[in-house]
Amino acid sequence: MLFYSYFKTLVGKEVTVELKNDLAITGTLHSVDQYLNIKLNNIRVVNEQKYPHMLSVRACFVRGSVVRFILLPPGSVDVELLHDATRREARGG
Amino acid sequence: MADSGQQQAPSSAKTPADFLKSIKGKPVIVKLNSGVDYRGVLACLDGYMNIAMEQTEEYVNGQLKNKYGDCFIRGNNVLYISTVRS
Amino acid sequence: MATEEDNTVREPLDLIRLSLDEKVYVKLKGERELRGKLHAYDQHLNMILGDVEETVTMVEIDEETFEEIIKTNKRMVPYLFVRGDGVILVSPPLRS
Repeated sequence: MLFYSYFKTLVGKEVTVELKNDLAITGTLHSVDQYLNIKLNNIRVVNEQKYPHMLSVRACFVRGSVVRFILLPPGSVDVELLHDATRREARGG
Repeated sequence: MADSGQQQAPSSAKTPADFLKSIKGKPVIVKLNSGVDYRGVLACLDGYMNIAMEQTEEYVNGQLKNKYGDCFIRGNNVLYISTVRS
Repeated sequence: MATEEDNTVREPLDLIRLSLDEKVYVKLKGERELRGKLHAYDQHLNMILGDVEETVTMVEIDEETFEEIIKTNKRMVPYLFVRGDGVILVSPPLRS
């Protein structure tokens, strides 16, 4: 639940999601669920030349399991908060 | 205690769990699905076959590629764990 | 009762727990490697790393000589969430 809770705090912020097929999408995080499926709005593909078929797509749903990385906005990472939450989770589960 | 009172099983009847219990602290080779081998001392492991090892050497195609003081291997990558004479 | 900062390794994830706020090396599927500070993780090995250097290794075969040409791409990322299912290996920094 740690990362689900964390990503809920990022709703409304801009993130870049890199998928396992190397497609990278930047967009505003609209919502996230317990599987870390995510919905992005106002998206743009990082490498548009390579993926021109995505040009007309404005919003997308990404299944959590196809995500490789998510690049986080530096201002939205509270390191101390994450440490505490991680230690709590390590004890509990 | 679960172990007390239990008869010593003959070695031929050892279960996989018994084997895993018996090799903690021993030198092992862990082979991953990718074919990469890790040689080192088994510190501990869990039900997912996640593994903690010490003094680990990474072999790719039989060639030493890396050394790690401690390392954690995610269980889903594990093909087998084998004991080795030190 | 164990103390809160228990330094013993009873299960493999304890090794990761002891690496919190330390620089770690992460080997991923697809010939990818990360080096960065571990800020958060869970039991799936989902992680948040900070000041991350990602290295991607590609092997190309020269069509004339059949020689292997190894290319590495590196990039820096301030903060990176890593999905656990891509993780092969995590190693803490060498402790003296």
